[in-house]
Amino acid sequence: MLGSRLTPDAAIAGARPGPRRRVSRARVARGATPYLLLLPVAVAIGAILGYPLVDLVRLSFQRYGLFELIRHSGSWVGVANYSSVLRDGVFWHTLLRTVVFTAANVGLTMVLGTLLALLLVRVSAWARVVLTAGLVLVWSMPVVVAVQVWYWMTNFQNGVVNYVLTSLGVGDFFQHDWYATTFSQLALVTTLIVWGALPFVAITVYAALAQVPHELVEAAQIDGAGPLRVFRDVTVPVLRPVLLILTSLSIIWDFGVFTQPYLLIGQSKITPGNYLMGIYLFEEGYFRGDYGRGAAIAILMLLIVAALSVVYVRRMARMGEEAT
Amino acid sequence: MRSRVFVALLAAVALGVVAATASAAGSRQAANRLTVWLQVDAQSGWPDVVANANQQFERDHPGWTVDVQYQNWGDHLQKLDAALAGGTAPDVVEMGNTEMTKYMAAGAFADLTGSKSKFANSGSWLKGLASSATYRGKLFGVPYYAGSRVVTYRTDLFKKAGITKLPTSLAELTADARKLLDRNKQRGFSPIYIAGTDWYVAMSFVYDYGGSIARTSGGKWYGNLDSKRSIAGLNAYKQFFLAVSRASKTTDEIHPNPYDVYAQGLAGAMLGPSWFSCCVGKYKNVTAQFVMPSHVKGQPMPGFLGGSDLAVPVGSSHQSAAVDWIADFTSTESEKALQAKGNIPNATNLLGASVNERAAARSWFVPTAKHWVDVENGNILRNMLAQILTGKLSVKQAASSASDNITRVLNQS
Repeated sequence: MLGSRLTPDAAIAGARPGPRRRVSRARVARGATPYLLLLPVAVAIGAILGYPLVDLVRLSFQRYGLFELIRHSGSWVGVANYSSVLRDGVFWHTLLRTVVFTAANVGLTMVLGTLLALLLVRVSAWARVVLTAGLVLVWSMPVVVAVQVWYWMTNFQNGVVNYVLTSLGVGDFFQHDWYATTFSQLALVTTLIVWGALPFVAITVYAALAQVPHELVEAAQIDGAGPLRVFRDVTVPVLRPVLLILTSLSIIWDFGVFTQPYLLIGQSKITPGNYLMGIYLFEEGYFRGDYGRGAAIAILMLLIVAALSVVYVRRMARMGEEAT
Repeated sequence: MRSRVFVALLAAVALGVVAATASAAGSRQAANRLTVWLQVDAQSGWPDVVANANQQFERDHPGWTVDVQYQNWGDHLQKLDAALAGGTAPDVVEMGNTEMTKYMAAGAFADLTGSKSKFANSGSWLKGLASSATYRGKLFGVPYYAGSRVVTYRTDLFKKAGITKLPTSLAELTADARKLLDRNKQRGFSPIYIAGTDWYVAMSFVYDYGGSIARTSGGKWYGNLDSKRSIAGLNAYKQFFLAVSRASKTTDEIHPNPYDVYAQGLAGAMLGPSWFSCCVGKYKNVTAQFVMPSHVKGQPMPGFLGGSDLAVPVGSSHQSAAVDWIADFTSTESEKALQAKGNIPNATNLLGASVNERAAARSWFVPTAKHWVDVENGNILRNMLAQILTGKLSVKQAASSASDNITRVLNQS
């Protein structure tokens, strides 16, 4: 903003000849300051994100397997990688599975996270401290460690989940195989991801709840609004920007999720029948050593995530306009 | 203000110079360092053999050091790919014999044909290993060691169950397993522990019944698991598994390690590599091994002949030193030490009469197709076994779908 306002000034100043030059030089310097300040960041982002992205796009138009890897040069194949991915039935099945998976994960994360935040507002001070501490501990646990703990808990032979369920008389869970079907594999991954994402959502929404004006809530209550009505018409409109950002971020995270499903399900149980997009990319690109095709899948994933986010952001923005 | 910027710039330049000298020193040091990637098996099983080879090498090459870095089977190929791409490949790398073909075909390894005579016993290398390291008549790897698969069992439990003589056929083994089950009623006890998707065991049944994973004809590969004999083998595996093992039907032979189950006292026997006897905890004194019997009385069941080769990546700048180190590490003395640890040495003239060496008498090996490793890593066989054992698909359905997949994968360009 600041920059765009200053640029024309600076340009005009630079074009003008004569005695005003000295003054204009100072102006130019002032106009350039924001750009100079931006420069280090721009260079860093360009080097860290821009260059690999350009390289990725280039790679996606090349045949680049083990043979090419050793010789450090690929051969151009046009859009062959893209057409082979788009003609692959596995890609479309995986995409559908991932969209459903993402919807379930984001939905559960947002609903449970918001409920937890509302709970945090209502409980007594000591309970809030305990709850918050618990959430922070969950948040600070490294993903790989968390996966290992969950893996142990759901272990076939010695898992505590089977033991507890059997002891509680829920049924005979001795040697229950939690990894026997794709549905139960992905359901486990979902609980792990939602569990891990709850703290971030809950604490952020809790912070946003502090911005809900107390008078507004009271006024609504005096006018006879029940708790649900207050939540819908007073709380949600205030929270909307925060919910919007959290949902978009969650979509991006969950759509491309890799660590949790790959480690929890385990490489030896990964098949096209339980691929998620992140795993599909890894298996086709890295595990098979077909890097060109992997790059094409990565670009397609990027476009899909961008499309999903754009649709959602625009809808939310429009809803916001209508509401106000 | 200006002077402060100048000072900062000066500091940055100075730092850069320091960094440059440091890295130059680093690379000078690396000139006399041989980097070797071995699998963790060596670290846990025979670190002394590695140390002896290093000592010998360093004695013959004054000023050199050997840097052995241990890798895991699960991800070592991705690491190798990354190292090949980055030009930081090791000078020597251990490869599973099923992993060699793809890399040899891509030109990843140096041609060692001219150095063959430098390696001890190279005239009598085990065929299964030597052929896995040969591509289009050229040698790209040196056989390191092999391992066969045997039955490791609890002598005390066998005795208690009244089993007086070791089984000589699959039917006898199954009957013995029933006796073991009768005497050991604790839940989760497997008379013979097999992980459900342990394809090395399952394919042994396939080969025992005359089937195979794939066959080649006219330069093309065809999945062969849907053939009549292969299906007979898969059916036999299913029945055997359901009768003798309480392992998860969907798990592999690493999660959990069969010897951990055995060491917990939850197995009367287990099927697997002969080195499984390493890790049986308190049952060390009541553990012995026998050869897995075939469904044909008196014969061993063909077992998977696993093994490792040592190769020199083309990017290595110390290829001749790498060859010397491999020669030290595969010397007759080294191979005998490996043999003493329960492995099969790399040459026929060194073979003894131990259980695992007798088990190697009948063996099978994976199809030597360029893309075989993709079948292995794509879990086509494991997925089929899980489908069969859980009853999700019939043996025939699962086998024919896996067979189609194998045909597709093996024939990709």
